[in-house]
Amino acid sequence: MVAEERTEIAPVLEAHGIFKRYGRVTALNGVEFEAYPREIVALIGDNGAGKSTLIKILSGAIRPDEGTIVLDGQTVEFHTPRDARDAGIETVYQDLALAQDLDVATNLFLGREVVLPGLLGMLEFLNRKAMRTQAAQYLRQLRVTIQNPRQTVDTLSGGQRQSVAVARAVFWGKHILILDEPTAALGVAQSTMVLELIQRVRDQGLTVVFISHNMPHVFEVADRMIVLRHGQRVGTLFPKEASMEQAVSLMTGALGTDSRTA
Amino acid sequence: MADSPSVPAAVAEPSVEELAPTPPAARGLAGHWDVVLRLGLLGIVIILAAYFAIRTWTGSWPPIFLTTDNIQNIGRQMAVYGVIAVGETFVIITAGIDLSVGSVLGVSGVVAALELLNGWPLIVAIITPLILATAIGLFNGLLIDTQRLPPFIVTLGMLGVLRGVTQLLGSGKEVTFDPTQANASGFLAFAGNTFLGVPNLFWILLAVSVVAGIFLHFTRRGQYIYALGSNLEGARRAGVNIRATTLTVYAISGFLAGVAGIMLTARTSLGDPLAGTGYELDAIAAAVLGGASLFGARGSIAGTFLGVLLVQVLANGIDLIGVQPYWQQVIEGSLLIFVVWVDQWRKRRLAQ
Repeated sequence: MVAEERTEIAPVLEAHGIFKRYGRVTALNGVEFEAYPREIVALIGDNGAGKSTLIKILSGAIRPDEGTIVLDGQTVEFHTPRDARDAGIETVYQDLALAQDLDVATNLFLGREVVLPGLLGMLEFLNRKAMRTQAAQYLRQLRVTIQNPRQTVDTLSGGQRQSVAVARAVFWGKHILILDEPTAALGVAQSTMVLELIQRVRDQGLTVVFISHNMPHVFEVADRMIVLRHGQRVGTLFPKEASMEQAVSLMTGALGTDSRTA
Repeated sequence: MADSPSVPAAVAEPSVEELAPTPPAARGLAGHWDVVLRLGLLGIVIILAAYFAIRTWTGSWPPIFLTTDNIQNIGRQMAVYGVIAVGETFVIITAGIDLSVGSVLGVSGVVAALELLNGWPLIVAIITPLILATAIGLFNGLLIDTQRLPPFIVTLGMLGVLRGVTQLLGSGKEVTFDPTQANASGFLAFAGNTFLGVPNLFWILLAVSVVAGIFLHFTRRGQYIYALGSNLEGARRAGVNIRATTLTVYAISGFLAGVAGIMLTARTSLGDPLAGTGYELDAIAAAVLGGASLFGARGSIAGTFLGVLLVQVLANGIDLIGVQPYWQQVIEGSLLIFVVWVDQWRKRRLAQ
């Protein structure tokens, strides 16, 4: 997508003038953020740049000292992560938050189980069959290959686990997905699995925001990259036009422009 | 995206790129550990029973070990330990622990005895200790959840507090009531009787086990109990009510310890202030033998039931064949270590 076309479309998620301070340290210094529909945006920057802080604010885990968040054109305030989730923003942190000892279907439905109909349902008896069937169907749809949906999560590979975590976030029909370092702990083959999943998710209409230190991965799937440095936004790059060197230079401060004016 | 995902008309079959699948071995023994363990326990019980049957052979059928009397005895012995172990299982699955159950048993039994002694109606003498026991459990749960105190310490403290209170209640002595009293006689008779050849106390254990099992394995709250033990933070983020789940398991543990206390008073026809001393360790051992892990998210009612069965068969048999009872502790302790050891092997196997 070219930038000129993009200006016709409104962002689905925006953050304006975000400030966050911890004592004397300013984690975010007036950051602007925007993400468009059906887009993969990568948030890149060196350690301490403020990426994690920004997504924690976007996902409701922490509150900004100043600034506003705008979702689908409406200003919103997130007091808890629940608020963000209810508003349609699902976040997958690095720890994945999966219950290792429980099976895939159970994890997918955790907190939102399907109960049996009728009286048994009122007593909260689980409809495991329905959950397993839906889980299997859904994972097939997303091309997540899991041999047996009854497998416990601790028997899955790292890539499969990440996929389940992503699938769970997307399962509930949310339209924005935030991922914190989705390929950090994965090898080559497994990263590919996850990156393909992210693209499929985007193709199905969602917006994906992800943090990554892995430049090749970022350049492989991102439609756009926002670069942070020392709590400020120092540039916007498009993988199709910019080079990795440019990105890294912006991140480390060797370059002060973005790909538009280079 | 649709609320409920629907399969598109032309869905491609899953591609073959099986990236780092579970190695075949893990799908074998380690992957089906729960079933293997239970079969293993059952096997050990059968072997032990066969051994004791042979060793107590008197020349005519049945051998002493397998007489109706003895089997009923095992059933009665199992009943009290079993009920308390079922309660403990709930707590262990959440990666918590309840060391106060032995003392809850004690105070419940003494309160029941005191009320019977003072002529209160049987129904009151049963309900009061149950309410008390449940309240203690809720109290434990509240301290653990709201104050973030470690379960080990909280329940260890309660163990001491309650044991002291129990002694105070009984003035340091056993509380005896007249077994022929109107309110007591039915109570004691019930405890001593059988129904369809099975001791009533054992029926209580069966009923408790079935209800507990259905709750734990088939309902949403039961699922949350496992989720809490598996990943507390993850469960919290998924929207599971951590407080409700924590309170539930400790309340269940307290309640069942109360039931066990009343059962014991009914069986011995007195309120012993020292009743239940050490039972918490037996309960934990039975649950762990049955597959529960102190790290949480593992265990089952059926497994605990088998664990209790194993321990009581062992105790009963050793007593019958005249071997020193201390061997029972040696065997039990060794089995416990073995089971935990194999569980760790299973974990390592799965982690590849």
